[in-house]
Amino acid sequence: MNLFSKFIVRAVFRDPVRSVVTIAGLTLGVAVVVAIRLANVSSVQGFETALEVVAGKTSLEIVGAGVGVPETQLAELGWLRQYGRVSPVIDRTAQIETLDGSVSLLRVLGVDVLRDQPFREYRLLRFSEGDQGSSPQELLAALLAPTSVVLTERFASRHGVKLESPVRLRIGDTAHPMVVRGLLLDEGPARVIDGHLAVLDIATAQWLFDRLGWLDRVEVQLFVPDGIDIAEQEIAARLPEGLRIQRPAQRGRQVERMLAAFHFNLTALSYIALVVGLFLVYNTVAVSVISRRSEVGVLRSLGARRSLILGFFLGEAAVMAVLGAVLGTPAGWLLAQGTVRLTSTTVNTLYVTSSATVPQLGFEDWLLSGLIAVPLSLIAAAIPAAEAARVTPLAAVRDADHQVVYRDFPRKPAAAASLFFGLGAWMSTLEAVDGLPLFGLGAALAVVCGAAALVPILLEFVRRFGRETLTSWCGVEGLLAHANLSAAVARLAVSVAALVISLAMLAAIAIMIGSFRETVTYWVGQTLQADLFVATADRAPVGSTATISTAVERDIRTHPAVVAVDGFRGFDLPYGPEGDLIILGAGDFGVLLDYGGLAFKVPADGAAAMRAAVGRDAVVVSESFALKHEVGVGEVVSLDTPKGPRQFCVVAIYYDYSSDRGLVVMDRATFARHFGRQRPTGLTLYLDPDANAEEVRTELLAAIGPDRRIFIRTNATLRAEVLRIFDSTFAITYALEAIAIIVAILGVAATLLTLVLERRRELAILRLVGAGREQIRRMVVVEAAMLGLLSQGTGLVVGLVLSLILIYVINVQSFGWTIQFHLPLGFLAQSTILITVTAALAGLYPARVAAQIVGERVR
Amino acid sequence: MKTRSDGVGGGLSVSCYTGAVFLALKGYCWALGLAVVSGIGLMGAGQELVLGTAGGWRQAEAGYSWEFPQDHGSHPDYRIEWWYYTGNLKTADNRRFGYQVTFFRVGVDPAPDNPSRWAVRDLFMAHLAVTDIETGQHLMAERLNRGGVGWAGAEPGTLSVWNGDWTAGLDGEAHRLVAVDQGLGVELRLESGRGVTLHGAAGLSRKGESQGNASQYYSMTRMPTSGRLFVDGTWMAVTGTSWMDHEFGTTFLEPAQVGWDWFSLQLNNGLDLMLFQLRRSDGSVDSYSAGTRVELGQSTSLDAGEFKLMPVRRWVSPRSGANYPIEWRIELPDWRTSLTVEAMVEAQELYTEASTGVTYWEGAVAVSGLTAGLPVNGVGYLEMTGYAGRPMSEVFGNW
Repeated sequence: MNLFSKFIVRAVFRDPVRSVVTIAGLTLGVAVVVAIRLANVSSVQGFETALEVVAGKTSLEIVGAGVGVPETQLAELGWLRQYGRVSPVIDRTAQIETLDGSVSLLRVLGVDVLRDQPFREYRLLRFSEGDQGSSPQELLAALLAPTSVVLTERFASRHGVKLESPVRLRIGDTAHPMVVRGLLLDEGPARVIDGHLAVLDIATAQWLFDRLGWLDRVEVQLFVPDGIDIAEQEIAARLPEGLRIQRPAQRGRQVERMLAAFHFNLTALSYIALVVGLFLVYNTVAVSVISRRSEVGVLRSLGARRSLILGFFLGEAAVMAVLGAVLGTPAGWLLAQGTVRLTSTTVNTLYVTSSATVPQLGFEDWLLSGLIAVPLSLIAAAIPAAEAARVTPLAAVRDADHQVVYRDFPRKPAAAASLFFGLGAWMSTLEAVDGLPLFGLGAALAVVCGAAALVPILLEFVRRFGRETLTSWCGVEGLLAHANLSAAVARLAVSVAALVISLAMLAAIAIMIGSFRETVTYWVGQTLQADLFVATADRAPVGSTATISTAVERDIRTHPAVVAVDGFRGFDLPYGPEGDLIILGAGDFGVLLDYGGLAFKVPADGAAAMRAAVGRDAVVVSESFALKHEVGVGEVVSLDTPKGPRQFCVVAIYYDYSSDRGLVVMDRATFARHFGRQRPTGLTLYLDPDANAEEVRTELLAAIGPDRRIFIRTNATLRAEVLRIFDSTFAITYALEAIAIIVAILGVAATLLTLVLERRRELAILRLVGAGREQIRRMVVVEAAMLGLLSQGTGLVVGLVLSLILIYVINVQSFGWTIQFHLPLGFLAQSTILITVTAALAGLYPARVAAQIVGERVR
Repeated sequence: MKTRSDGVGGGLSVSCYTGAVFLALKGYCWALGLAVVSGIGLMGAGQELVLGTAGGWRQAEAGYSWEFPQDHGSHPDYRIEWWYYTGNLKTADNRRFGYQVTFFRVGVDPAPDNPSRWAVRDLFMAHLAVTDIETGQHLMAERLNRGGVGWAGAEPGTLSVWNGDWTAGLDGEAHRLVAVDQGLGVELRLESGRGVTLHGAAGLSRKGESQGNASQYYSMTRMPTSGRLFVDGTWMAVTGTSWMDHEFGTTFLEPAQVGWDWFSLQLNNGLDLMLFQLRRSDGSVDSYSAGTRVELGQSTSLDAGEFKLMPVRRWVSPRSGANYPIEWRIELPDWRTSLTVEAMVEAQELYTEASTGVTYWEGAVAVSGLTAGLPVNGVGYLEMTGYAGRPMSEVFGNW
């Protein structure tokens, strides 16, 4: 055991730079994986915790089709009382302006407190008597006036809000002056999302949120909570058409499913950094094996068994893996804080409004890091370790400086590369699994492995044919660099492979994002043709129901320059057997076709098909909807309406990149027939061709008045806004990729340093025969730059292949978007220069070390 | 149906007492209503919602023209209204029960600005209590709802009052009561029996000097009752006698009463007696205390000087600590009547901390004594407030 630990610990300390780089690489890899996992968990958890606490003691909830539960149906649901207590709920978000000038997002619950108390147990803070407690009547008294709002003690103390403080609730386009009539004690639902909860009377909530006649859901608290399964079935069987019963957690699951593809792709990306870290482990152990062949030989001669040798090298990897996991886990937590900020913007923009906080690290997080890092590191180390174990005592002692130099064409890597590429090609043809592109990612992984196998072949190629080129480019230093590299192909292969993979991923992602951006830009040009876009000032996700008030719409329609107005109404609707949340939209098809346009995928004359859809139960669907739910033109989709499921014919599929959840759009008349009249959530305005959009916008804003919370964007600003959202969505992608590249470049630097240290004798001889310090330094820098350039070149080619998989397989399977392929040449050229320079810079330290080696060292 | 209360007010100076009759008679109803209303007044200070003004509600005035069964229905122009049923029942094998079913409507805002169905115009409350005299068990349940989508309500023009699935309605001339909760319930048919008695001056119960401080008030004092009752997990067929009150008005009180003791008695000589006294904070009996004697075909108002209510035996509630007189001696010297009223079960206290915050005693009583030298006995209901928690004047004072 002593020997074992000595051997391993010495190994780690013997080459500290390489060990530190490897451990740093693993740490970063683990950290990124942990960070993304925590960020993903927290964005869903933030929502689910809020859901759980807000749900309180609710066992079941009755929900309607999209627009909610028509309140008149409650009267028919009197029989529910034999199962338990019943409470109608309006559950929304709004912004609140407080006297301290801040604006915060609040979860707003509109409840009938007379009914709701057993569900959520609100308790009001009492100031007058100093005691605490509250009856339904006290709550009602606090909430009764249409200007009354109850906030939480926590929120109030943070914003200096007191009883009777005036606040303004921004809902849709209106900021409603309210008065704080009560404060909830810091417990129960009041703790939700850090106290960002407001309670309104249900009547007030209906009025302010434009929900007169509607409820968001009806909650049921069973008398016998154990009987939930039976109760759920029985109630489901008795509910009228158009209503469904579900458990509160169902909404959480819907959100989870909605975010699944987004999270899955983030997770996959996060593993790139880890994979790079694993290459470093492989590299380190491999170098360790090579440089300690003589030691291994001695040990074997002394009777050490093969398994012991194997254990030594695996142990070395394990020590590094454990260190990486131990350091990487808290680093990941720190990283997650930043990641949450980056991703929550996306989640809030595209999916749901949630306030995510990173959960504290638990034992399971440490365990999971260990379980990911250690076995994978062991697998990475197993190949060189097994090779070490195969060394016979004789061979090791005699050929202490053994190196693999391919005498012939490297057949084994070639075979592996072809195998991996073949596998990748096959997997890219397979279907998604449950909406997740498992095989697509498998294909990408196979290509990555194939590329790794390709690296020794390329290095061999350079060794054989690169001499002239390097010499002519860089003179004698080039020649020497080439010679050095040629001698170390086997050692370099792994470091270079790691760099190639990171660069390939960067190239792939850059190509994918570049293509996507180009596609979106084109789509925006095709689709956004209106002159002005009116929306409420809520920064709410698509499908939210902040509506434009009648007064505002009237002001807009009466402006002389406005020739046509298309009111759009969108909201979430569960679709299909899994209840996936799609977006159901309603617009004025006539106006859209006369003045605007959509980019149709099928049929070619989508506009005619759309015109024909007016007055019928027909819809147009977005491409992502069609792909995800496998629906084609001419087929029928079944949508839940307040009157039960209804069939709608799909007449056209159009390109849309605003949401991957899928949109189904119908003409407003069709919509009104099935879902009732609803206020629009957005307006698109078409102006007189002679009018100046910017001037009309100013006039409209003046007419509407400063009290209304309205955004009016011109066509140009909306386009810019779309691209801004697009870029912020992909910010995290670049951040993750950058980390992987840093890890890889560290690896190259460490490898070069090792090579330098091992070649002390050669370098000293070079100095003796007259090489200057500068020449030695240049030689090493040229080596580094050459490796960088080689890696980038390979990376670009492999990246191109990967980008095709990303664009045509993974992206289509995850999000259902058609992306037109487009090479971001500028970016790729820039990154090539940047990588070569960075690699050369990474060679500076090894170069300095090499240059300090002097001739006297040679004995 | 024509009222038979032709003797109301005959020569007696009832006008200045009837307000107190109203007040005391339904003190507990008030307590319940007030808990809601006072809270609203407190929290909503500075808004139009502060109650205690007539704001938009109709005042009870003389000259109200009664018409039945229409006036069994709701009078939504008035702010406060209740329908109040109590009674003594027994099974075929003589197992005895007392019951109470009460529906309240408390107006909050006669014309809410908010067009939502959930905007609160009225609040509806209901109480159900059953006393099992053999076992001494006293069960109760309560309801509190807004009208909303018809979860509670009261129709004008006919008796149709409901709160959740508790209902009071008409079946011909009979009243039909259904109120079932977890562990207790009644389904009863109350025959019209002796019919309607108007209290005060032709049903106008003035409570103070101000003309508007009054209410419209009648009782049905003796209603033969049959149906079934749910206790201990079983339904039992029962018969007996009930007493119904219906009262509506808008402004009422002049504060400073700490509580009251109210009796509704049905004697076996055909006499029905309603008596109450208001207890003042100085311990004296308020001069507004009053009563009504109802005999077949005629009713007579009694003023405070015509009767005496004297506590005999007390019971201390282990829960609230309140000290209730649960045995009383009643003297009506002019009528040569001397009665002993005794609670059938001591513990008939309603503890409503979770809903109304008012703790009071309301329960079945047995009556025995002499009237005009002849022995009489009977049954009835007794209500006592202001013995626990805040004095009622404070509850009243809040608005």
